[in-house]
Amino acid sequence: MAPLIKVEDLKQTVGKQIILNSLSFQISSGECLGLFGTRGVGKTTLLHILAGVNRFKSGRVEILGYDIEKNGAYKKQMGLITQKPSLFKDLQAYENLDFIAALKGADQHNIADLVQRFVLHDILREPVNKLDAGVYQRLSMACALLNEPQILIADDLINDIDPFSQSIIRRELNSFLISGGTCIWGFSRIEFCRCTSRVGWLEKGTLAFYTPQEAQAKWDRRWHHIAQQNEQQDGEDYA
Amino acid sequence: MPSKMSSKMVKTMLRQCLAIARREILLIWRDKDLRYILLLGPLVGLLLFYGIYSRQVLVEIPTAIVDLDRSQTSQELIKNIGAAENLRITTFAESYKELEDLIAKGTVVTGIVIPENYGRDLSLARQTRLAMIIDGSNMIYATNATSTMLSISRTLGAQAGIKTLIGRGIAPNQAQAAYQSVACSEEAWFNPTLNYAYFVVLALGLNMWQQCCTLVACMTIAGETCAASWCQLKSLGISRLKLFISKSATQIAAFIAAALPVFFLAVMVFKLPLHCSLPLFFLFNLAFAVALHSVGVLASSIARTPVNAARFGMLIALPSFLLSGYTYPLESMPGLLQTAAQALPQTWYFQGLNLLSFKNPDYALMSPNFLAFLLISAVCYATSAIIVAKKT
Repeated sequence: MAPLIKVEDLKQTVGKQIILNSLSFQISSGECLGLFGTRGVGKTTLLHILAGVNRFKSGRVEILGYDIEKNGAYKKQMGLITQKPSLFKDLQAYENLDFIAALKGADQHNIADLVQRFVLHDILREPVNKLDAGVYQRLSMACALLNEPQILIADDLINDIDPFSQSIIRRELNSFLISGGTCIWGFSRIEFCRCTSRVGWLEKGTLAFYTPQEAQAKWDRRWHHIAQQNEQQDGEDYA
Repeated sequence: MPSKMSSKMVKTMLRQCLAIARREILLIWRDKDLRYILLLGPLVGLLLFYGIYSRQVLVEIPTAIVDLDRSQTSQELIKNIGAAENLRITTFAESYKELEDLIAKGTVVTGIVIPENYGRDLSLARQTRLAMIIDGSNMIYATNATSTMLSISRTLGAQAGIKTLIGRGIAPNQAQAAYQSVACSEEAWFNPTLNYAYFVVLALGLNMWQQCCTLVACMTIAGETCAASWCQLKSLGISRLKLFISKSATQIAAFIAAALPVFFLAVMVFKLPLHCSLPLFFLFNLAFAVALHSVGVLASSIARTPVNAARFGMLIALPSFLLSGYTYPLESMPGLLQTAAQALPQTWYFQGLNLLSFKNPDYALMSPNFLAFLLISAVCYATSAIIVAKKT
């Protein structure tokens, strides 16, 4: 089966600093790729390149068979949830759904369905900048799913939000994946890797792939090593 | 099948454009400051300027008389001066020095000094010299006072001359004919009463309007690309051209909507002159709104932030009325300024507004203005497109 996303030799720089150093990878249909890395390693940069928000220095990115530098048609089959709040702050919650649905050319009936699935009835008339983080994230995901996309790009999907919102978002993510959707989910907390089928570990501009278990084990080893070093240091200081 | 497809595409496009337009209206409406600025700013401006110029012509210029002659003839002269439409005798000074003080303090704007022996010299057909002093520090007062003074001096000279000729035995009608052999008839066309309100009130109100519109236009690009929601717009894959056209068309419609109450108040309520066909007037304002919008968009595309965009816009909009040549002739400005002024749509607008207010121009007479709007719009929009393509 042809990969849904194909990245070849992708390079991105900010000034002289290399953020992404010749990344090459593929994502297949139905996969949920967790993009893991500590803060500031370039997860958002990579996700924004895939979403067509940012340009890149060199390389080639193909999504749904389209070269994203030449053709933006793939965006019709994509949904984006950003790390920073990016809904239209001058609009109310329902107006955001309605506006984004119109721009995506999505069916108006999808709005009612998503409002129900994401439990948004009570906040539809609220301005989005007044919403709690969890509700905001539910609304963001509902907006991203309006066009029933094949690919969902999510940056920090459930970080630091209330458990109710987390459970709804996880449920809807599972339902999206079961129905054949593909997701790339960026996060900086290792425990979320359990929700993914594969983890891409981004560090120093390069990307290494692991199973969720391997990623967790790598993280644990690293922590263990750091803890040992700290204990040793404490011992030396005490002596 | 293909026709079904294309009809669906057109429907989707229409839905997208309407959604963008609706959001733009909400954006302007929900931003209270922007709403008040755009809707009330020009109206308040018009009311204010109409109040200022409600007397319509400058009358009752405070005048002081120094009568050093104190004769019956000088008293007659004072009576004539007092009857002059524009002057109001407020003070009688005792000396030239006192008059100087009054003018220096601003108590009076003009002063007339009637010399000693004025009556006697006049009766002996000798030359006599009236001193007419005008405070030139206020140009509006000075211009009007000078004109009135000239009129008085001309009448006085003629009256004295006719009297002298009659005294020398020439028949009164011949004496009068000798002094009126060259009859000068002064006719002010288009604004016969030289009404200030007719000349400036609408222009000043619309100056406020164009400044408010520039502010809004300056948000077109910077307001969008600097917001976090730009990510959403880019990821949605909506074409920048579609977004720009939908936003701009809504803004331009809002500009015209904001101008309509101003036109209604000016023409229907304040009865300010508008001698032109309504379709031409509407088309002219629409063309200007587009050109003005293009300038705002250019400022918006250059700016790094919306605040800077507004600053750039104000930098253009604020001096543009003075540069337009409406209140001070363009031809009297240095060449460089003239060229700069011609690159601004405001210059063509205010010059054209004067024609539309007074001279009932046809399309041919207005065509240079329309052409200028077209050129300015094309250059500004094209440059903005290049800048935006590079930036985003």
